[in-house]
Amino acid sequence: MLRVTVKAMSVLGGLLRAGASFCQSAGTLLHTARTFSTGSCCQIRMHAIPPLKKVDRWTEKRSMFGVYDNIGILGDFKAHPKDLIVGPCWLRGFKGNELQCLIRKKKMVGDRMMTLEKHNLEKRIRFLYRRLNRYGKHR
Amino acid sequence: MLRLSLLVFSRGVAKRFASSFSGQTSLPPNLMLPTNLVDPARLKRRPPPADCPLPLLRTCDAVVPAHLSPVQMWVETLQSCDSEPMGLAELHPDVFAVRPRLDILYDIEMWQRSYKRISYANTKVRSEVRGGGRKPWRQKGSGRARHGSIRSPIWRGGGVSHGPRGPNSYYYMLPMKVRVQGLKVALSSKMSQDYLHIVDSLSIPTPDPQYLLDLVRQRHWGESVLIVDIGEEFPENILRATADLKTVNLIPAIGLNVHSMLKHEVLVLTLETVKFLEEKLLWHDQRYTPLYPFKLPYSDFP
Repeated sequence: MLRVTVKAMSVLGGLLRAGASFCQSAGTLLHTARTFSTGSCCQIRMHAIPPLKKVDRWTEKRSMFGVYDNIGILGDFKAHPKDLIVGPCWLRGFKGNELQCLIRKKKMVGDRMMTLEKHNLEKRIRFLYRRLNRYGKHR
Repeated sequence: MLRLSLLVFSRGVAKRFASSFSGQTSLPPNLMLPTNLVDPARLKRRPPPADCPLPLLRTCDAVVPAHLSPVQMWVETLQSCDSEPMGLAELHPDVFAVRPRLDILYDIEMWQRSYKRISYANTKVRSEVRGGGRKPWRQKGSGRARHGSIRSPIWRGGGVSHGPRGPNSYYYMLPMKVRVQGLKVALSSKMSQDYLHIVDSLSIPTPDPQYLLDLVRQRHWGESVLIVDIGEEFPENILRATADLKTVNLIPAIGLNVHSMLKHEVLVLTLETVKFLEEKLLWHDQRYTPLYPFKLPYSDFP
């Protein structure tokens, strides 16, 4: 009984796999059967060219992108474009390498951080300071 | 399939553009048109002749250099779909007729995209991954390779050695004069390619979005329109008409920028906006270099 059902299942599975490239409804049936692999074959299977994803180029965000970027020169310099940046407070209008960003984060936000995060931050600052200032060509 | 595509191509370009605005699609969905097709009806508009009977509604406020002459432009109205231009306006050549510097436009476009960008990609280093403090097995004698921790980068589940680290910002500023020159170059390009229109005011008879679409289509302006007006308040009709439209957008004059000008095909300015832009952009040609930031008070600068 078991052997008959297993054989039927393998035949069905084979038919489904063959049919998946032609009709997408068979492909969804394929996903209901749980598949596993021992890790030797490639995970991404591309038997059919995927359809182009439809991107709407005129959404609210895309059509209004960049508005108020010249608020300084056109608006009497009361505001600066860096005031428009949305993000963590230690990164608004600031650019630096990793060590500079972490030092600034510790200065601005350090007393509000969780203990584990702060510990990792201090370890990373110590490691980067030693690596950038003691080893290699630039010290 | 081939016969159908040949039939479609033989129908002509103008009909294709006309049907794209009304929303009906009688073309096959997988038809790929080249993006540089030009509507032939657009090419027929002529610049104002020297002996035009229409009144000159605006002259340049700033002094025009002697070797340049002001650019002349029709002033139109939005009151009805098929109205004739109602006058002429003169535009300053140092704002609307500068050399087309594509490299400046590229720099400004890249700046606008990246100065606001903060990437939040983050990976844990071997010291931050939970666990991995103990040596997994003794150094010698077990027969396996020697390891110090189970979270080193060569282990599965271990830390990433050179991955992205934390929120990272890409902020930088271009010099002020480069940004100003970019605005001038963008305005001049729109002017020279016939995509700039000047309107006396933004009052339209109905708040119907279809009215604006019909107006744009009838005057063969283009596919997407950016309307710029000065001031905080806009007439209610045009606010309601542009609220639901995707390709026709309304911004205040302070919000003008190169990316929006490049994204929208047509730029529509009012006379007050032209005056405001000329005043703001020409000031940078003859200012002194700032001794302290401009946001702090100066005696002669408001």
